[in-house]
Amino acid sequence: MPETAMELINVKKTMSNKEIIKGLSFSIHKGEVFGFIGPNGAGKTTTIRMMVGLMGLSGGDVRILGSSIKSDYKEAVREVGAIVENPEMYPFMTGHQNLMHYARMIPDVTKDRIQEVIKLVGMEKPINEKAGKYSLGMRQRLGIAQALLHKPSVLILDEPTNGLDPAGIREIRQYIRKLAKEENVAVIISSHLLSEVEQMCDRIGLIKNGEMIAIQDVNAAAEQTTGVEIQLEVAPLKQAAEILKSDFDIHPVTADHTLNIKAERETIPTIIQTFASHDIQIYQVMITKSTLEDKFFDLIGENTIE
Amino acid sequence: MSNFLQLLMNEQIKLYLRKSTWIMYILISVLVVGLAFLSNYGAEQMETYQDENWRQTLQDENAELQKEMEQDDMTQGWNTQQIEENNYYLDHDIQPRSYDAWQFVMENKFLLSLVSLLTIIVAAGIIANEFKWGTIKLLLIRPITRTKILASKYVSVLLFALFTLLYVLIFSWFVGALFFGINGMDPHIVLSQDEGFVYVSVIQQIIEGYGLQLITLVMMATFAFMISAIFRQSSLAIGIAIFLMLSGNAIVSFFAEYSWAKYILFANTNMDQYVNGSPMFEGMSLGFSLTVLAVYYVIFLAISWVFFTKRDVAGH
Repeated sequence: MPETAMELINVKKTMSNKEIIKGLSFSIHKGEVFGFIGPNGAGKTTTIRMMVGLMGLSGGDVRILGSSIKSDYKEAVREVGAIVENPEMYPFMTGHQNLMHYARMIPDVTKDRIQEVIKLVGMEKPINEKAGKYSLGMRQRLGIAQALLHKPSVLILDEPTNGLDPAGIREIRQYIRKLAKEENVAVIISSHLLSEVEQMCDRIGLIKNGEMIAIQDVNAAAEQTTGVEIQLEVAPLKQAAEILKSDFDIHPVTADHTLNIKAERETIPTIIQTFASHDIQIYQVMITKSTLEDKFFDLIGENTIE
Repeated sequence: MSNFLQLLMNEQIKLYLRKSTWIMYILISVLVVGLAFLSNYGAEQMETYQDENWRQTLQDENAELQKEMEQDDMTQGWNTQQIEENNYYLDHDIQPRSYDAWQFVMENKFLLSLVSLLTIIVAAGIIANEFKWGTIKLLLIRPITRTKILASKYVSVLLFALFTLLYVLIFSWFVGALFFGINGMDPHIVLSQDEGFVYVSVIQQIIEGYGLQLITLVMMATFAFMISAIFRQSSLAIGIAIFLMLSGNAIVSFFAEYSWAKYILFANTNMDQYVNGSPMFEGMSLGFSLTVLAVYYVIFLAISWVFFTKRDVAGH
């Protein structure tokens, strides 16, 4: 059983007589990337604000490495690094001055450590420019840098992919995975877009209207057998389609150079073998839509998680 | 403790790295130099008393003023005053000192209301700006209590006031020295006060003149700080604080007929009333005013603390 980094115990939040968070309980382990997914307004940011002590809890408790955020604030928050909503920086200070500012607030952050995090997020070049001139992507990286200064056990990133281009998202994905794996950090990522964070998470929790609807292991979900959508890039298309119909009773949708089918994950090897024995050239076989997304759509009861 | 010094350093850096703070200092500098140019006229007149014949010069001047008064009634008030002052010099056998850096600094004491204004602006912004920039979220998720962060911000405001005050004093002195020269280290001059003309130390006048105004400065800065902590918005805090500072006396006289008027903050901020020995209301004493001020001060800080430490930091 992996070590628990952060634990939420029946966390509740009532604001102006309205219960916004209705008793959340879950825990995050060290070295794990946890996706905190839900539509806008579901209570993600409120929950995160309670996790880091920006908001008081109306009920329940948050424990970080066993220390309560309520009764043991300093001990608890020492182990947390976070970006809450947008990574806001002091616009009139350089990136480096911003990091120095936060470094002064935590004991034992050395100059070497500051250089280390700058390097980690790839900000060596613009670090001496004013933060006001940074692009959102650069601010996002600087935000991650300040969150990592004190080597926290828990890293909380609120919508880290917001406003980033695909290349930026991929980069963030890479160092989040690296952090979890190499530094054994528990990472919590919130997002309203499952597709953006699915690939970097180990587990995903789905929140809606202040309640946790489901927690799903990503790898386990991928192994599930119920129908997946598969895209086959093969030639000749016509012959391949015939084989699918006759041998598997699957009716493919033909696109430009591909066949799209819905089938059990287990049948993929058999299809490939059959194609091979018929001398059909196989360029690519790809699962286009995960079961996880389907599952979540069902749970939320809408077509999109927007 | 070292932790607190680090927080103070952060706040000071954030303050002095900003252009708006530099503009404040440039504004003060321009004003002081401008005042030095204006004071040049008065300084030249004083030059006429700097030789052996200063008694004769004063007597000649009196005769001339007397003549002028006979011709033109309008000049009566000003000229009588001038003659009395000249006579004081003659009676006490004091040679009028030439205008110098010390007197320039003393006359610039009204610049302290500018320092108050700037301190109010800083106090109003020091909390509100963190909310405006959104940096409050990153500031408060450190292993430091909110009380400590609030304290560092408040002390930072006081430090700003202190530095700005020192800047006004020192810069005025240097500009004064450049324009008018220096008359020794502890010059005395004749000043007209309520009880008549007195021969006083300029430095003592400087300390008194600046020192008494510090009370208003600290009270209004603390008030602006409180408004900023409550509403998390600087313009409102600046507006209310400056409005109250300017209309303070009017407010007091408006309610003057009520017995509780003496408990109004502004009835107690003006310490001149005890120096002159004429309190604004009956039953007021220095001890009374200091107590009232202390109560207001504690209330301002307590409200700031409650709002800053107990309230959620929610979205915009």
